[in-house]
Amino acid sequence: TFSRQTTNLMQLVYGKSSSVSTKANEEQDSSDEDSDGDDFFRPKGDGIKKHRVEAGNWNVEDSSKFTNHSIKDWNDKKLIESVRDRFVTGDWSKAAK
Amino acid sequence: MGKSSYKRLTGSQNLRQRLVLATLSATPVLIEDIRTDDTWPGLRRHEVSFLRLLEKICDDCAVEINETGTKLKFKPGIVMGGRNLVHDCGLTRSIGYFLEPLIVLGLFAKKPISIKLKGITNDSKDPSVDTFRSTTFPMLKRFGVPSEGLELKIENRGSPPLGGGEVLLAIPVVQSLTAVKWTDEGMVKRIRGVTFSTRVSSQFENTMVFAARGIFNSFLPDVHIFTDHRAGVHAGNSPGYGISLVAETTSGCCLSADTAISYAHEEATAGLEDEKKELMPPDEVGVQIASVLLGEIEQGGVVDSTHQGLLFLLCALCPQDVSKVRVGRLSPYGIETLRHIKDFLGVQFVITADPTTGTVMLKCVGCGLKNLSRKVS
Repeated sequence: TFSRQTTNLMQLVYGKSSSVSTKANEEQDSSDEDSDGDDFFRPKGDGIKKHRVEAGNWNVEDSSKFTNHSIKDWNDKKLIESVRDRFVTGDWSKAAK
Repeated sequence: MGKSSYKRLTGSQNLRQRLVLATLSATPVLIEDIRTDDTWPGLRRHEVSFLRLLEKICDDCAVEINETGTKLKFKPGIVMGGRNLVHDCGLTRSIGYFLEPLIVLGLFAKKPISIKLKGITNDSKDPSVDTFRSTTFPMLKRFGVPSEGLELKIENRGSPPLGGGEVLLAIPVVQSLTAVKWTDEGMVKRIRGVTFSTRVSSQFENTMVFAARGIFNSFLPDVHIFTDHRAGVHAGNSPGYGISLVAETTSGCCLSADTAISYAHEEATAGLEDEKKELMPPDEVGVQIASVLLGEIEQGGVVDSTHQGLLFLLCALCPQDVSKVRVGRLSPYGIETLRHIKDFLGVQFVITADPTTGTVMLKCVGCGLKNLSRKVS
C-alpha cells in the first residue's frame, strides 16, 4: 500500500487532472438535469460556481495563509498526550525514532 | 525584436505566483478569463497594485490590461531593485500579500531592494508582518540568504479597513540559493509571540496573552509573548488587535500561527447583511490561535502550512542539487504552488507519504536559477 500511496500523492498534485475535471463536469451535468424543472431561470454564475468549488481551484482567493483549521479543544487530556512528545518536555526517545 | 510567444493561462487564481514565476523564468504570460462571470469582473485593486509594484522594481516590464480587466498580458523584465522605493499597497489586502512575492523576487534582483510599504500590516487573510519577521526570515536563512540586509521594520501599524501602517523592507541579493536537506523537525523547545493593538486599550493584549498561555501551560514553561501597543500616529487609522505566535524547535524550525481582529472593509460587507458583525473577544482569540499553533505542531513538518508554498518555491529555485524537505499535510496553496513550479520551471517534486509520522516528504532537483546580474567580485 505504501507505493500506491506514493503514486496517489504524485497524482493528486500533478497528474490526471483532466480526468478529475471531467468527473466534476459530469456530476455538474447530472445535478443540472435534476433541478431543471424547479427553476427555469438561473443566474449564469450559479452552475459555474458550483463547478468551481468542485474543481477546487478556479477563482479562489490568492492567499498562502491556511485558514481551514479545525479547532480542537486542547484542554482535553487525551489530545494533550497525543502531541506531548512533539515538545521537549515529552519523551525524547520516542521523538528520535 | 521577434514576436515573443505568450504562455496562456486562465483564471484569477494564484496571480502572484504566476507573475513571480513568469518573471524569474522570463516567460511572458497571457492570462484570460479573470473573473469573467463575477458581478465585478476583472482584476482586483490589490492585483493591479501588485502589477504596479512589479513595474516599479523591474526594468522593461510591460503590463497590458484590457478594458474590463479580464485579460492580462504580462511581459516580465529584469528585476532591478533599488533603494528608497515607496509603494502604497492599498486597503483591499494587507502588506503580507505583497511581501511574499516581493521577497522571492528581491533575492534575484540586480541591486538590493529597500522599500517602504504602506497599508494594512495585520489582517486575518494574509500572514502578518510579525510572522514574516519571526518565521519567514529564519526560513530564508536556511537557503543561504545572508542575515545582513534582511530586515523588516514596522514603523506604524495599520488595521483594516483604513490601514495607515508603514513597514520598511530590505532584502539582500544572492547569487544563488543553497539546496537544503531539511527533514528533521525536532521538538518544540519554546514558544514566542507578539501581540499588537491599535486604537484599542492595551488591556486587550494582556487578555490574549493570558488566554494563549493558559493553553500552552500543559506543554512547556518556556512561553514568552510580547506586547506591542501602538498609539497616536503609530497606530494607523482603525482599531484592531491580534496575535502572532511561533513555536521554535530544537532543530531550528519555526512554526507560526497568527490572526488579527478588526472591522471588515465596508465594500466587503455592503452586499451582505448591514448589521455589523461582533468582533471576537480577545480571550477567544488567544485560545483559538494557540489551538491553531498546536494543530500545526501536531501535524509535523519543518514549516507550517502557511509557508509550504514559499518552501517549495525556494527548493525549486535552488542550484541543480537535490533538496529534501518534510511537511505535514499538503495545503491547497502548497499543491497549487507545486503545479505552477512544474508549469514554469519544469521542476517536478517526488512526493512520498511517510505513514509512520503522517508527514509528507518532498524531493526535487532545483532549476539552477542564478542571479546573473550580480557582479562577480
